[in-house]
Amino acid sequence: MNAAKENLWKAFRGLVVVWIIGLAIGETLIAWGVDNWPILGSIQAHITADATTYLMWQAVAIYVLVGGTIVYSAVRFRASSMSDTAAPTYQKRTWAPFVVTWLALAIAINLANTIYPGMVGLEQLWGIQLDAKKPLVIDVTAQQWKWTFSYPKQGVTDVSKLVVPEGRTIDFVLRSKDVVHDFWVPAWGEKKDVIPNEVRHLFITPTVLGTTATNPMIRVQCTMICGNGHPLMRAPVKVVTAADFKKWVANNSF
Amino acid sequence: MASNEMQAQPLEDMGGNKDPFAIGMLFPLFRAALWGLTGYFAAAWITAALLGSVIVDPLPATVGYVVGLICWLLGSGLWEGWIRRAFGGKEAPSFTGVERYFRFGPDSKSTAVRYVVFNVVAFFFAGMAAMAIRVQLLTPDSTSWWMSEIQYNETFGIHGLMMLLAVAASAIVGGVGYYLIPLMLGTRNVVFPKLLGLSWWLLPPAAFAVFMSPTIGGFQTGWWGYPPLAQNSGSGIVFYVLGAATLLMASLLGAINIAGTMVYMRAKGMTLGRVPIFVWGLFAAATILIVESPATYTGALMDLSDMIAGSHFYTGPTGHPLAYMDQFWFLFHPEVYVFALPAFAIWLEILPAAAKRPLFARGWAIAGLVGVSMLGAMLGVHHYFTAVSDARMPIFMTITETVSIPTGFIYLSAIGTIWGGRLRINAAVLLILMAMMNFLVGGLTGIFNADVPADLQLHNTYWVIAHFHYTILGAVIFTWIGALYWWFPKVTGRKINEFWGKFHAWWFFVFFNCTFFPMFIAGIDGMNRRIAIYLPYLHQINMFISISAFLLGAGFLIPLANLAYSWRYGPKADANPWGSKGLEWQVKSPTPYVPYPATIEPEVVGPNDNYAPGAKEPFVWVSTPSK
Repeated sequence: MNAAKENLWKAFRGLVVVWIIGLAIGETLIAWGVDNWPILGSIQAHITADATTYLMWQAVAIYVLVGGTIVYSAVRFRASSMSDTAAPTYQKRTWAPFVVTWLALAIAINLANTIYPGMVGLEQLWGIQLDAKKPLVIDVTAQQWKWTFSYPKQGVTDVSKLVVPEGRTIDFVLRSKDVVHDFWVPAWGEKKDVIPNEVRHLFITPTVLGTTATNPMIRVQCTMICGNGHPLMRAPVKVVTAADFKKWVANNSF
Repeated sequence: MASNEMQAQPLEDMGGNKDPFAIGMLFPLFRAALWGLTGYFAAAWITAALLGSVIVDPLPATVGYVVGLICWLLGSGLWEGWIRRAFGGKEAPSFTGVERYFRFGPDSKSTAVRYVVFNVVAFFFAGMAAMAIRVQLLTPDSTSWWMSEIQYNETFGIHGLMMLLAVAASAIVGGVGYYLIPLMLGTRNVVFPKLLGLSWWLLPPAAFAVFMSPTIGGFQTGWWGYPPLAQNSGSGIVFYVLGAATLLMASLLGAINIAGTMVYMRAKGMTLGRVPIFVWGLFAAATILIVESPATYTGALMDLSDMIAGSHFYTGPTGHPLAYMDQFWFLFHPEVYVFALPAFAIWLEILPAAAKRPLFARGWAIAGLVGVSMLGAMLGVHHYFTAVSDARMPIFMTITETVSIPTGFIYLSAIGTIWGGRLRINAAVLLILMAMMNFLVGGLTGIFNADVPADLQLHNTYWVIAHFHYTILGAVIFTWIGALYWWFPKVTGRKINEFWGKFHAWWFFVFFNCTFFPMFIAGIDGMNRRIAIYLPYLHQINMFISISAFLLGAGFLIPLANLAYSWRYGPKADANPWGSKGLEWQVKSPTPYVPYPATIEPEVVGPNDNYAPGAKEPFVWVSTPSK
């Protein structure tokens, strides 16, 4: 029995090496991926992308620790062939230190994730919404298969192109005329369903100037299947400076 | 030994009727199809004539489906095998030979074999739909030489619904579970054998109707059937709703059997602590179906009612579409645990026999299986975080993330079993090891969708597509094929070809990951799901995904050929080829018609996973006391 125990500790040392190599490779890849992240065009996009990238670091770590153990132990403890039916000497049904460590880590990671990035991210998103005393209100009407935008306080109605100023929180008031749609500008990092008979709000603070032509991530895209026109239910977006926005309003209001 | 009326009939020959296959044995199958189609067209046409409409309208299609389904069932042997007696007639004799495979009957083993055949056929056609989707996505434009946007929408809806309800929901539970549950529990049949027989005969007409839905106008909602789109995008939604409700009903009939058999039909000495882990997995899945499925098929039928009866539950100026989402996801999130829990349990059933070690931390593993099924009832809302009010986000995020704790117990148990063992890796074991690796990716990426801030960006993008294909295709289907290989000798008395088994396992693993891993990246890069047309900047990644998908899809022909060939010509297997201590391997292979002889029964005297050298056998055979 002692011999078997020694072997297992030796096997564990090998596993630690696998973990270190795996973590180094995995986290390097994630670092590269995070460096090449698509455009983050609003404060909200930074919050949701922070959540995503944090969970990626963590997911890769867990993948290496758990998946690495599966692969390592399957290789390390394999029998030479199917006809090798001898049983190993190690026949324990449980080993408390392993179970307790696993349980404690599982609960701890869960609690931690609920707090960050979960609740922290939500509080940040809600915080922007609460702090926006005078948001720019834009009425968004979704119907099969087009978007229309109105700026009630600016007197701009029913335009098919979304023009927004940079650096100001916008309250998108979402209404649907027919079926469920979903308002999404990929660069802005958040989406919201547009539900018939209900009104939904989405608060976005764009921070990056640009247009759909310069970056296709800056586009309005319906992301809820809404019939055969669904893939083309898009609208062009233009994020402009506050001054340019004023000019645009002056030219388009009545 | 627990037995019921059917099993109490003494059979002189436990092997059953030895008549070879004759073409006439297919008669009930043909009669069912003929009656079903006749019933469908007659009822639909009469309804249409009475209403002054046409048979492809929603109401005639509904009436036609219901009548056609009943006629199909009666034709399948339900009439003389069950119903006729209720009208004072005589019940048909039990068919014990090859005939039982082609007609309604109370034998759980032939029902399970039919499940496998049905799942393979449904997987083939739904897989072809997936290939069609990937052809469409080879180019970013509308690809008008291939499919219109309407046809594309119909195709992914059929692919999704069929893969979920006609394949994943019954692949392991049906084909593997219904075969093994009586054998593993030491009983001769399940507790309600006729309901189990009925459950299979509900599947073919339901799946056929869903596949045929484009002929009456199709449905473009995807497999969700969200109103009000459901009501205004083609009357094929009728077949979607009725097909889904019928398939769920079949699952429910099986679930009742699983739970009832586990509670009432265990062999002597088989305490709950000694129930095989796979049966625990089935039981956990069954509780989900029993508790949650009624809410969801009621929702589906209310959706139908809005379509055909003029009600306004979810549509019109007073309708509440969000209520449909609540009802729909109440089952359909835990439904993925109905697929996954039996798969987890199969890992834990096979690994001890393969590694010659007892199942590590067995109690924790059972707590994991049951824990997932219990938490599963409380978290469907995470499928529509983008639709709900802020107040519902934190609670459902927290509960959803909590599921990873009991799921982790499965990995704890699996790793502890392999560690220090002597793992004999055949094709089946290789497949389940790969399934564990794939599910790990699927599970870890699920955390992103549970986490509300991350989900608000990732929801309804290709990220989600990648995530659930990792869990369902990568884990459940890999495990299903592994399970078919592992228990193949039990059913056929032969072994599969190990070389081709391992070859396609690696083929799958490589091309599966090449197909679905890039979808995570496509999702982050802003590709939303369910689009036939996408922006050109996503072209390259979609080309890569499509080509990998074709190779992955073609690879599925290997296990198909392997199973079909080995069934007739594979090498003969011993009764217990893997040296397992499971009760199902202690009886003859292939399983005789009556698996446990009439006068003798197993008594459980120890744990069934004690592989220590010189360990006591877990079962002794005792003679059945006469009544």
